[in-house]
Amino acid sequence: MNLKRHLALTRAGIMESLQYRLGTAVTLFANLIYLVLVYFLWKAIYASAGTDVVNGMTFTDTMIYLILATALFNFLEMFVVWDMSRSIQSGKIILDLLKPMRFREYTFWSYSGSHVVLFALTFIPTFIVVLIVTHGAIPMGLNLLWFAVATVLALIVNFSMEMIVATICLYTESTWGINIVKETIVLLLSGASIPLAFFPEALRQVVDYLPFRAVYDIPLTILLEKNDTNTIEGLLPMFGLQLAWALILTLAGTLFWNHSVKKITVNGG
Amino acid sequence: MENTMTQPIKRRGFGFYLRIYRKILVQDLKSKMSYRADFLISTIGMIMTNLSGFVTFLILFKNFPSINGWDYYHMLFLYGFSLVALTPVQCFFDNNWNLRFQVQSGDFIKYCFRPINVFFYFMSEVFDVKGLGQFAFGVGTLIYAWVHIGIPVTPFVIAKLVLFLLTASLFMIAIMNAAAATCFWIVGSGYVMVIMFRFKDFAKYPSNIFHGVFRILFTFVIPIAFVAYYPSLAILESDNIPVLTWCAPALGILFFYLSYKFWMLGVRKYDFTGS
Amino acid sequence: MENAIVMKNVCKDFKILNRHEGLKGSIRDLFSRDYKTISAVKDVSLEIGKGEIIGYLGPNGAGKSTTIKMMTGVLEPTSGDILVNGVVPYKERTKNSEHIGVVFGQRSQLWWSLPLIESFRLLRDIYMVPKKEYEEMLELYRSLVDIEPILHKPVRQMSLGQRTLSDILAAFLHNPAIVFLDEPTIGLDVSMKSKIRDLIKGLNQEKNTTVILTTHDMGDVDALCKRIVIIDEGKKIYDNDIDHLKTYFGSYRTLRMRLSDDTWEERVIDETKEDVMQVILQKQKEQKIKDIQLQEISTEEVIKKIYEGGN
Repeated sequence: MNLKRHLALTRAGIMESLQYRLGTAVTLFANLIYLVLVYFLWKAIYASAGTDVVNGMTFTDTMIYLILATALFNFLEMFVVWDMSRSIQSGKIILDLLKPMRFREYTFWSYSGSHVVLFALTFIPTFIVVLIVTHGAIPMGLNLLWFAVATVLALIVNFSMEMIVATICLYTESTWGINIVKETIVLLLSGASIPLAFFPEALRQVVDYLPFRAVYDIPLTILLEKNDTNTIEGLLPMFGLQLAWALILTLAGTLFWNHSVKKITVNGG
Repeated sequence: MENTMTQPIKRRGFGFYLRIYRKILVQDLKSKMSYRADFLISTIGMIMTNLSGFVTFLILFKNFPSINGWDYYHMLFLYGFSLVALTPVQCFFDNNWNLRFQVQSGDFIKYCFRPINVFFYFMSEVFDVKGLGQFAFGVGTLIYAWVHIGIPVTPFVIAKLVLFLLTASLFMIAIMNAAAATCFWIVGSGYVMVIMFRFKDFAKYPSNIFHGVFRILFTFVIPIAFVAYYPSLAILESDNIPVLTWCAPALGILFFYLSYKFWMLGVRKYDFTGS
Repeated sequence: MENAIVMKNVCKDFKILNRHEGLKGSIRDLFSRDYKTISAVKDVSLEIGKGEIIGYLGPNGAGKSTTIKMMTGVLEPTSGDILVNGVVPYKERTKNSEHIGVVFGQRSQLWWSLPLIESFRLLRDIYMVPKKEYEEMLELYRSLVDIEPILHKPVRQMSLGQRTLSDILAAFLHNPAIVFLDEPTIGLDVSMKSKIRDLIKGLNQEKNTTVILTTHDMGDVDALCKRIVIIDEGKKIYDNDIDHLKTYFGSYRTLRMRLSDDTWEERVIDETKEDVMQVILQKQKEQKIKDIQLQEISTEEVIKKIYEGGN
């Protein structure tokens, strides 16, 4: 693996993202307003509940969880499915396949640049604001390091899911439908719209073992040191789940892609 | 035969546009029938989104029995109301989502060569059938909540409902038009649309949860308070309808008009330098 | 002759951000307010008569598309006046588009998933073409090209050639006074090219339609245009007959001579300075000439010379 070549893609991605300066500013601003909405909604919800702690989550916990989940969502969001379907329809996919790099790697590293920019422009500022506003609600220790590791794993799991869904686009033109199904399932079952702690027990049992959790819930749980993740015993199962899914999905995705890509070559684009 | 240069100017009124839209719609539906798989998958997608929204709602209410004094059925009413109000933007204005790509690639220019309104021509190209699924889901929810709250069914109430549903949808259309039109000025503004569309999820909560500056912001600048809350008060609190609810229809038309003007200004401003 | 288009001292400027190179440059650009003005069209005046077919030429980025966009009312000129059919296009875009037809290269303006005939019907309604005129137009189309195979085919299933053909037919459907064709033959095979040229010529003759043709294919120009306008770096540098073009740099011809060792020797001769016969006689004194050929300089070569900056 030639790292220099991969980092060149990252660099190009960063430069491309920075071209859209007004777009970036507007994105930041729109995000802020969204967070205000989340804040008011949950403030009202907790005020109506009458108690400070619901399912082990205080208002502050819930806020941190949801705000950072949104920030993670923005930073992790990829448009692989849309890009794929567009390049299939235009025939550009053939050019991508001819690049001297495996398609999967090429896609991953092309996106890495925008991930870096978004991490610096959306996640870090949000994190700092949350840190200051909640003074001290986020533990500042080794958990930050574990969180970083979990985020990288989350990125890999998320990318693998995107690639699998994108591969389905080789079979159907119904990109919108496929994408919305994916998005809906991921948003709901990963804890991005409602913390998983609020899910009913029976549902929780199932969701705990699904890959979606590895994307938002696990990194955030680790960051907030919930579920004993401040101990090695609590931490290991989390990483184990992420790693297992990262491996399974990468493998499954690669096999699925290799099998499906023959189809395009047959169709001639 | 000579060119038509000297002929009188042809007038294109409301009737003309209605006729053209109907014809395009019929043709569009016909060609959609040939993509049965796509239709099926999209419908499943639509059902999934609605179910997921509903599940979120249920989970929330399992943990918290009321929000700001609004109980389960009233919240459900608001939820159904917002779904129905979202139908027109979904069905008739869905092409807004493609605007960014067409503007960037330069393909948008083709809408400027016809002797008809650019906004109309652009929007007429896509009719989104999936929106009807959402409509059905919303109506179901609305009726369910309606029965449980025990609102009387009279022609007057129904008329009021229709009027305020239309009002609510005007606000949503206005929000999406304005969000889409940003791409004429700002490259890479796609996220604005995504986030505005996510804002709509907050339309189904009572807007009195917002305070201070933000209440004004979400009422008059990004009018999500009008997408369900204020219009639905016309039905839910018919004895005590707030002033803003009365103003809603006029405001809705105003917001729609402004968003249309903004969109058209974008077309004029856009310099078509995209290759 | 009545004028279809009149342009007087038209200029068009664009303001663009000065981009810097590299990663550091990109970050700097985030905050930069360093704009520069680019003049895409500089002081162009032009008169185009009714029924003419004009070849509007120029190298890539010369300002051709910008001019066309101004004539169609999509762009507003920075200064100067344009009248198209007596209408100021930018001020009355809708009225202007009533009388023009536009084909933009490989971008189809038809409804992608509809069969061609349905697109035609929609256009008939949009342009409010009377039923009789519409039928006559279809009849004319049938007499010029074989449209039956494509009439019931959705545009997205068509080959590039069929799509271009369809777009051209659609542009003429409402019998516009002026049709703008932007690279109509790009990417097409030889037989399709000639089919499309015949169609354009036929429609121009039947309907006396003014045609503004931008192209990089000199075959199009030779087949269709009597007059050509060349624009380079935003300035009009040539506006005259195509025949006159060949004498633009003097009257050139290429003389080829087959010598005794069967090799061909080539000489470009400026007839204002040299006499062809004199050159041959001169050569014959040195060597035996077995055969001679005299070739006119091709349009392509002249154009190339002009683009490259002349002598």
